[in-house]
Formats: sequence, C-alpha cells, structure tokens
Amino acid sequence: MALPVRAPPSRKGALPLPPEVPPPSQDGGGHGRGSAEGGGSGDRTAWGALPHIRIPALPASCSLHTTPPRLKTRAARVRVGKGDKAVTYEKAHPPHYIAHRKGWLSLHTGNLDGERCAAQRAVEDSFVRRFLHGTFPGCLADEAVLKRRSNSLLVCLLLLRRLPPSKLCFLLGYAETLLSHLYKCPVRIEAQTVPDAAVYKYL
Amino acid sequence: MPEYITKSFSPRFSFPQDPTAAHYMFHDDPYLMPKNSATARLFSLSKESGRNAAKYIIKEFPHFFDKILAEPNIPSLMPEICTPQIEGVSEEALRERINLRMVKASVDLFDQLLQAGTSISLETTNSLLDLLCFYGDGESTQEKESEEKEDLEESEVNASEQETPKRPPQRGSHPFASRWRENNNAERIFKIMPERNAHSYCTMIRGMVKHGASAKAYDMYTELLNDRHKADVHTFNALITAVPFLKDRFLERWELIKMFLNHMAQQEVQPNVQTFNAVLKTLRRCGGVGRSMAVPVIKEMEALEIEPSLATYDHLLSIFYRSADLASSGIISEVLDDVEKRSFTPQDPDDAKFFISAMQVCCDLKDIKLAYRLNKAVEKGDNWKFLDMDRLNSYWSRFFSLLCMMEQIDVVLKWYKEMSPSLFYPSPKNILDFLQALDAANHLEMIPSVWEDMKQLGFSKRRDLLEEVLSLMSRDQHPEEIQLAFAKCAEDIKTVHEQSGRDQASVEWTGSALGSVTVLFSRAGRTQDAWSMMERFQQINRIPTDLVMDEFLNCAKQTNSPDEAIKLVKLAASLGLPSSQKLKSRVEKEFKLSENQKKALESIQSDSDSSDSDSDSDRD
Repeated sequence: MALPVRAPPSRKGALPLPPEVPPPSQDGGGHGRGSAEGGGSGDRTAWGALPHIRIPALPASCSLHTTPPRLKTRAARVRVGKGDKAVTYEKAHPPHYIAHRKGWLSLHTGNLDGERCAAQRAVEDSFVRRFLHGTFPGCLADEAVLKRRSNSLLVCLLLLRRLPPSKLCFLLGYAETLLSHLYKCPVRIEAQTVPDAAVYKYL
Repeated sequence: MPEYITKSFSPRFSFPQDPTAAHYMFHDDPYLMPKNSATARLFSLSKESGRNAAKYIIKEFPHFFDKILAEPNIPSLMPEICTPQIEGVSEEALRERINLRMVKASVDLFDQLLQAGTSISLETTNSLLDLLCFYGDGESTQEKESEEKEDLEESEVNASEQETPKRPPQRGSHPFASRWRENNNAERIFKIMPERNAHSYCTMIRGMVKHGASAKAYDMYTELLNDRHKADVHTFNALITAVPFLKDRFLERWELIKMFLNHMAQQEVQPNVQTFNAVLKTLRRCGGVGRSMAVPVIKEMEALEIEPSLATYDHLLSIFYRSADLASSGIISEVLDDVEKRSFTPQDPDDAKFFISAMQVCCDLKDIKLAYRLNKAVEKGDNWKFLDMDRLNSYWSRFFSLLCMMEQIDVVLKWYKEMSPSLFYPSPKNILDFLQALDAANHLEMIPSVWEDMKQLGFSKRRDLLEEVLSLMSRDQHPEEIQLAFAKCAEDIKTVHEQSGRDQASVEWTGSALGSVTVLFSRAGRTQDAWSMMERFQQINRIPTDLVMDEFLNCAKQTNSPDEAIKLVKLAASLGLPSSQKLKSRVEKEFKLSENQKKALESIQSDSDSSDSDSDSDRD
C-alpha cells in the first residue's frame, strides 16, 4: 500500500520553495528514513533532524553516514550569564563576525588557491597555543596571534604583569628556542605586557 | 672642542638612532625594558638562561625534536647526538667517547681495555690525556672563572713596591684553585703509559698549569728535558704564565722567564703573540722589574714581526699605570697611536679588557682628548665587537664621569641626553658627578629633571644621592619658579622617605636632609608643610640648625602666620636651643601679634628660663 501523499498547503504569493524531495518509496525498503511500516511521514522528518539518534535497526536496512555533533550554534560563543563574567573583545564576538568585526588569530597562506599544507598549519597552531598556555601560566591576557612570514613564525603575545620581568624574559627566551627547534624555523615572540586584560563587556 | 662633538656624534652604529630605546636584545615594552645597569644584566642573563634551559630539554629528549621538517635540513636546529653509538670495549668506542667529551666514561673504558689486555695506541692515549688535562678530572660542566682573585694579588704586589719577602705560595688565588688532586686519573694514566712522546708531556704540563699545580708542571718540564723531547709553543706559554706561582721575588721571576725564553730559542720553537702576552702578564706582577723590562719585550716583539694584540696593550697599560702617582710615562698616547690605526681580531682572552682599562687610565689622567681618541678607536672597523653589553656600560660610565669633570656643561648635557639610557645606564657615581658639574656651571635648575631620572633608574632610595640633591637645592636662594620647582621636588623626596611598601624599608630621615626639606618648603612659602617637617626633628632626635629656623621665620613672616612663629619659638625653647632667645626677639619685633599671642610668647620665655640651658638668658 502506498503511503498517503499529502497535498502541500497552498502557498499563493509566497517565495518559491526548493524542489521537493520525492516522497519515500517503499521499494527496496532502503532508506532509513523510508522503511515503511509504522508512523506517518511527519515523524520521519522529525527524526532526521537529529542524525545522531539512529532509527532503530530494522532488518535489511543500511545505516546513514553521520558525523559527530558539531554544535555549530555553540562554537566559540560565550553564553550570556548573570553579568559578572568579564569578556574580551575577541571572546565576545561569535565566529560569524570574523572578517566583519574580528580579524584572524592565525595568518598564513595555506588557504590560498594552489597552496598546500593548510592542515599542518592548523595542527602547528593548536600545538603552539597549548604550549604558550602552559608555559605562561595565568599570564596570557588574550589569545596569541600567530603570523607566518616566509619561513618564520611570529608569535604576538599579550601578557599580564603577574610574573617579575626577569622571569618573563626567561620564559620568552625558553619558548623561542624550544619552538624554533621543534618546528625547524625561526620563531620570534613579540610580547606586550598589560596591567589587566582589556574587558569589552560583562556577560 | 666642537669638532670632537661633531665627529663623535656622527651617525654610526655605536650611537643608536633612537636615544630613548634600550638595546635591541630586550623586548620593547615598558615592563620588560631594563631601567638601570643591574636590571639590564639581569634581563639579558635570564633570557640567556631561558635559552640554555630549552637547549637542555632538547638535549635530554632528542626524540621529540629530530623530525626533519625543513627542506633543506637545518642542522643547527636538530638535536646533537651526544650518546655514544658504538658499544662494547674497543679502541673506537674509546675514541668516540673522547670525542663526545665524556670524561668519566672514557676513563672507565680505558681501564677496562687495559684489564682486558688490549694495547691502546699512543695517539688515543694522548687524546685521552688531552681530555683529562683540559677538564682537570672533573666533568665537562661549566665552571666560573674567578678573575677577582688575580687582581687581588696584583694590587697587593703594587702596594709594596719593593721585592716582597717570601710569601706562602698562594694556591688559592689561582683561578682553577687546587683542582689538581694528587695522583688523579691523568697522572695515573701518564705513569702507566708504556711509551710517551713529547705530546704527552706537553699536555700534562698544560693541564697542571691550568689547574693550579704549577710546581708539578715545572717538575714535569724537567722530566721532559731529561727525556730529550722538545716542548711546543703552547707549553712554553703555559709555563710562563705559571712563573708567578713558582717564584716570589721579582728578579727571580724575571730570571725564570728569561730561562724559558732561552730554552725556546734552543729548541727552535717560534714564539707567537700569546707568548709575549704571557710574558707581559707575568711582568705585571713584577713591580719595578716589570716596568723596566716591558719596553724591551715590546721591541723584541716588533723585531720578530709579531703583531701585538689588544691584550698586549692592556698589559702594558696595567704595568705602567697601576699605581696612581706614576703619571710620567707617555705610553698611553703611543698605545693609542697604534690602536687607532688598526682593526683588531680577537687573539687572546684578555683582549676584551683593553678598552675598559684604557678608559680608566684616561680618567685617572684626567685627559679628555685621549678619551675622544679612544672613542674613535672603538668605532674603527671591528673594534666595537670587543665591548659586549656589560663592558659597554662600564666603558661609557667612566667616559661620562670624565666628561663631567672636564667638559663644559652644554657638551655634558648633550652627551647625557644622547647616551642615557640607551647606550649606558648612569651609575650612582655618574649621577653624583653630573650633579657636581651642574653645580660648577650654575645650572642648578636642572636638578628636578635629574631627580626624575634618578627615580626612573631606581636610585630614589640611595641616601648619598638624596643628601647631595637636597643640599644642592637648599644651599642658595633662587628665583621664584625655580624655588617652587625645588619645593615640589622636595615633596617628592619626602614621600620617598615616608612610604613603607610591603617589602621596602623606608628611608630614615637624617638631620641635614630634614633641614634641607624644611628650608625648601619655607622658601617656597609652604608654611604648613614646613611646620610638619619641623615637628619631625624631635622624632629623630635631631636639632634644626639656625639657618633652618631663620628661613622658617622668614616664611612665616611672608605668609603672615604668627601662630607658626610662636610654635617655632616654643619648639626651640623646649629643645633648649641657645638661639631661642634671638628667635623670640625676632618674633616680637617683626610680627604683629595679638594680645593672646603676646602672652603666649611671654610664657614661653619663662619656660626657657627655668629649663637647663647654657644660654645667657636675660629676662626682659
């Protein structure tokens, strides 16, 4: 028995919709969406919106390729709280403001047409950030900006004045040498110290 | 005079383009930029030690760093291989460990090889001896040299200008003092060697001299002669440097040097520049004999066509200019003639001391023209490389002291603005000299700006500088705005005295400082502040001078506050000062007093009469 096909509601004067997906057919019993018995098609679409919840495995079904949840609506966003959380300009703006109100934290040419190794740059960047986070405990006022110029890596740090300046000099010399030897390229750290992290707003 | 200024101020690398920037090795940030010479040294050393810490980690964990990422490979960024690759007991393994400078491991391996009965070639044994003598039986870790001990002995020598009586051999003053133990590994191996050649003897001699066993070195040398070998030039150099530890009397030292030089000629060993430097270095400790013999030595050097290095000149200057009253020799200008013409390369570890000692000699001779010539010599060619950051600081510091003593004030000011704090950080002595120069040129209105510099350099708690500043400011009367500026400066100094931070000790008031501050406040018309200062005199158990009290009265008169005047008289009376009578009469004459005030004044008078004072108090 064919599924009842509901007539779409009249949409006079509305914007055109994308072409409709043909209603799931019964032949082949194939798609997880479509396996016939039980439930109206309305229920199926509800299930499809949360792809990590798999439809209970029925015999002769192949499963979907799903990705782990990417939570795109929660990435790099500081959630609004009671108003006591101090937040820098960098953190306060969600990622869709990049290139509008924010710049990039990591600048390299790997993403241009014909350039390779963007992924390696990303891995190196994340390592450098973790390294800096550990080497300067509690002293980073904001995210480090990494710039690659020809062969060299410039790390632009914003540090708080928590440690005495001789210790900061020690850590800067240590970090420069270690990163140079690790990545086999000259690494220069340009540090600027601020008394407090600049607060943009309180969330 | 002006020509020296223009020539020396020409834009060259030694004068940075930006006179406010620090050395380029520091981060350009107000928190991380050093403010005086001590912090400059601290920051540069901490950066260097950070680098050493990173190199240590790379050495300990080479497997994290040996992935080749760069095309072509950069060998200096790869970890070094410092673990021996060849295992087992063999001569190649021994040689490898010697190459890797692993002292203990190579000695153990050598012993194992001997026990196993394998014969080891002479070359390998010699290289093992080299390693042992170089490191003196310790491991190849960094050791600190103590140059101060050497200077100490030299100053002792010059204090007594005659030939010294026999002193116990000062082993402890040698830089690598007494690290050559009896029968250590090197000696042991040397003794059990089946055959020895000249190289073995030479290595042993040089090692013994380096590590303080000079007498043994001399014995080893006689053994070498007995075995009819020839020593090489480095051995002779080492022996000549060991002469001060072998003999005590000046003439004997010189005879021994001559003997070594004769042996050198007999064995047909060519001397090099280090030979002559060693001779001169020993002559430094020979007092009068040294002075007479130094010039013939130089002539000999010229005859052999050996170019002198900077260390030669350094030793020459020390020989002739050590004690303060020998200013008669004109050696310094001849030395400068030579130095100006050439650009030197480092040939001797003592080369780096030349410029500093030359500038010190110029300061002692109080000759500014020589100093300008020396500056030009520094700028020539590669000579600037002999002054690292530390030495640069002390060189320019001495130059600035000389400038303050000898030059006009506008020249001094120009140099001061150009050079500090970028090229050098003024030391406390420099600030004192600068203040005296300002005083001599009657430019005392610059003192508040000098005080600002002092605060920035971190000298605001140094009592000698504070006293000097305050006494200069309060000595004379000055026009109005300057007086106001001085009073503000005095207030600043007052806060310095009073602040007691968490880990800072507050500076104690001294009588003169307190008096000067009071005088400055009075002259600027700040009566209340002056009175609060006067009250502190009792706290520190000091008595204000007459000048202070007179100034205070003047101030009270100007600002028309007779109450303060009466309080002053009361204070003077309570302290039992002989001048309280004069003050009282002054107050009566010059102030318009109300009835109450007159009565108060009278009552003070009666107090002073009844108290014990050795003043002749006439009752009015």
